[in-house]
Amino acid sequence: MVKTVIDEELLQQIELLQTLIKNNVAGMFGGNHKSKTYGSSCEFADYREYTPGDDITKIDWNAYARFEKLYTKLFLDERQMHTRIYIDASNSMGYGKGKKDEQALKIAAAFAYLSVCEMDKVSVYTVRDKQLEAVISGMLGKEAYINAIGALNSVEFSGDSYISDAIVPSTVGYGDGMSIIISDFLTDNNYEAAIDHLAGKKRHVLCVQVLSREELNPKARGKMHFFDSEDTGRYYRKNITREIAQAYKKAVEYATGRIREYCAARGADYLLVCAEDPVSKLFFENLTSEGVIK
Amino acid sequence: MTLLHPLGLLGLLAIPVLVLIYIIKSKYTEQVISSTYLWTLSERFLKRKNPVSRLTGIISLILQILAVIFISIALAHPVFTLPGKANDYCFILDGSGSMNVVQSGKTRFESGKDYISGVISSAADGSTFTLITTGNTTDVVLRQTDDKKAALRGLAGTEAAFVSSDFTQAIAVAQNFFDENPACKFYLVTDKNYEIIENAELINVAESVSNYAVSDVNYAFGANGGAVVTGKAFSYGGDASITVRLFVDDGAAAVDSVSLELVRYEGKEFKLECERDDFASLRVEIAQDDDLPLDNKVVMYNARSDAQYKSLIISETPFFLNSALASMGNLQREIVSPDKYNEDMKGYGLYVFENCTPEKMPQDGAVWFINPDKGVDGAGFSRRDTEALSGTVELELNSSTASRVRNLLKGTVKGDATSVKEYVKCGLYRSFITLMSCNGDSVVFAGSNAYGNREVVFAFDMHKSDFALSYNGRVLMHNLIDYTFPVLVDGENAYCGDAISVNVLANCTGIRVETPSGKSEYLDTSDAVSEYELTEVGEYVITATVGNNRQSAKVYSQLPVAERITSVTEASFIISGVPSTQKRDGRYEDLLYAFIILAVIVVADWMVYCYEQYQLR
Repeated sequence: MVKTVIDEELLQQIELLQTLIKNNVAGMFGGNHKSKTYGSSCEFADYREYTPGDDITKIDWNAYARFEKLYTKLFLDERQMHTRIYIDASNSMGYGKGKKDEQALKIAAAFAYLSVCEMDKVSVYTVRDKQLEAVISGMLGKEAYINAIGALNSVEFSGDSYISDAIVPSTVGYGDGMSIIISDFLTDNNYEAAIDHLAGKKRHVLCVQVLSREELNPKARGKMHFFDSEDTGRYYRKNITREIAQAYKKAVEYATGRIREYCAARGADYLLVCAEDPVSKLFFENLTSEGVIK
Repeated sequence: MTLLHPLGLLGLLAIPVLVLIYIIKSKYTEQVISSTYLWTLSERFLKRKNPVSRLTGIISLILQILAVIFISIALAHPVFTLPGKANDYCFILDGSGSMNVVQSGKTRFESGKDYISGVISSAADGSTFTLITTGNTTDVVLRQTDDKKAALRGLAGTEAAFVSSDFTQAIAVAQNFFDENPACKFYLVTDKNYEIIENAELINVAESVSNYAVSDVNYAFGANGGAVVTGKAFSYGGDASITVRLFVDDGAAAVDSVSLELVRYEGKEFKLECERDDFASLRVEIAQDDDLPLDNKVVMYNARSDAQYKSLIISETPFFLNSALASMGNLQREIVSPDKYNEDMKGYGLYVFENCTPEKMPQDGAVWFINPDKGVDGAGFSRRDTEALSGTVELELNSSTASRVRNLLKGTVKGDATSVKEYVKCGLYRSFITLMSCNGDSVVFAGSNAYGNREVVFAFDMHKSDFALSYNGRVLMHNLIDYTFPVLVDGENAYCGDAISVNVLANCTGIRVETPSGKSEYLDTSDAVSEYELTEVGEYVITATVGNNRQSAKVYSQLPVAERITSVTEASFIISGVPSTQKRDGRYEDLLYAFIILAVIVVADWMVYCYEQYQLR
């Protein structure tokens, strides 16, 4: 089962990437992320005139020889972040020919590895109904990753999911890293409160919408009676014509556009992923071009 | 409304089958999908609902049901009754010779047919049609048929004749129809006008035309040996200047011509000359074209121009006889003595036995007996004694006015008597024509023998008579040669509608008549003369088969004089009685509209199907 989630070749490539975390105002010391404040890392940031009380070891004597003034060297501060990954574990993610569930798990595993490589803490949660369940909690370091990541294989996709109801009451941290929500977002608005909440907590929010190819471009035609996998009381009965198919495509555009705009308005990132596409494409094309990683 | 084939309605049973198929086909495919959210959301982006697309399935079913209904109805073939919409029509179509006049590119007869065809085509279904044509005979071509196609076919098969039409019988037939059905509408389609016409509508198809004609054309041999042709020329359309030309033996160049100024309806005589007397035919023709060319030409034939007759004279002393026959023109003669004659000598048209009698009658030719010495079986007479006369006695010419006698004695003179010293008494037991007699005994008589061949008996010795030297003897000999070798056809001026007499030659086994249109007919040869009615204008060829030989004669049949007048007003055409206004029930059985509607339905269904397929792509 591990092999279905972890692609070793992909993970080796991911090691070279780095996340560009916004709002990194907090976090533990000793991480790998540059902070907006000056700290004690090795990376030079700026000069300022020496004031009494400053660490004399930071005085730049070369500058003194040139300007006959004392200047203290300033260095960037580096923090450890806490990446929180939320996986929509509802039935809609696991039903049908599409491999949305597998794709969601792969994306989660890849993001977790990327964070681990950056010396960040990683927690992975599943959202089922209105409950948030921690699959991996506070994972730090590659060894821990190797030991813990297999837990993703045991994730079951069933029931309904209410993302906002599950995330908002939970502990999400403050300004200490990235919150990644992986879902098909096939709902009207139950994700909006979650995004608002995470953005309010100065988290860097990334919404990854996973849809199958059949959902993006359905081939079904003729008289169809569709039942909803999460609620059989919901159904759609129609003679699927060219006209309806065109309307469906507009509906897809509308739904994805709506969430994209919502994220953009709140400084969150958004990515639409086809369940049948390779995860490498997500990391090396989509996320890079969106500026989420480099 | 009635149904011709009610079983066709069984096709309606297909409707429940269609509905069943529709229900089965309409079943929705059930499928569980991850979420119906996007599908439900798509409703918001649907354009305004197209009622047609919403009803696509049901429209297709409705159209197919309608198609089944129309097919079933078409198979059942409904016939609708239209009360009082039809008529009975009776057409009397003039098929006389003048209807062959060409005007506006077609003949009057064709114009009449076109008119009738128009009436038939436009008549309501259920109408009946009767067609009476006049021509050679009066025929009821159609008798109250209500089948338009059959009526039009019958009409198309009619042709104009070349004779004068007698409407008496046509009126009688029409009167019968009228008596049976006074509501019948009568149309008289002709090129003649009528001063009085009752219970019929006159359709005059005549237009003003030009017509010239030659008539009463004859020829005679002139004193210088050539032929002189005389006749009359007429113009029936109006005054005209024409040229009449004479052609010999189908020659392309005229041997003589004359220009004539004609006044309408007034005949003008003409005379044309030909230097030859050995012609086969003379053709008199008007040079100018007109609308009725049938009467612009007359052809006359010289019947004996190419006739050759072979004769065998069996005699020990043939001098007188041979001299007499030698002057008879184209008679080939062979002479043999009686002791050398035998029954194997065949192939002659005439066998002349002088002072002798064969043991057996020749069967393949005519026979002359001159002074027979005994009787012979089949000769039709018996020989008795020789009656010796005291001195010479004049033979008496038969004074009967019977045509057969008159023809054989034509040209003889009463005062020129033939004298004999003796004669042979004969007992006649067949029907002979006595031409000369002595003391009440038949001395010269003619008839036919038991084999159907012509036979002439001279019951006296030529050497003891002045017969061969007398004028009457030469004339009678000539007449008897003509009698022995009759021409096939008598007479020269023949008109369409006339009956010509065709002489059945001795040993004739068949007579064929070839008409101008190329048809062949065979005449009855059991009698000496066969009658044949001319029904076409042009050259008839009559061919008689005699033994291994064939003898032909030609007769040119002219258009009757009455039919040459292209504008005629007759006295009356009256169908007696009080007409009724009661109409016949019409019917409507045309399935064309049903098929058009069916086609529209099929096309509409096809379009709906195409729309569906387009929508499901």
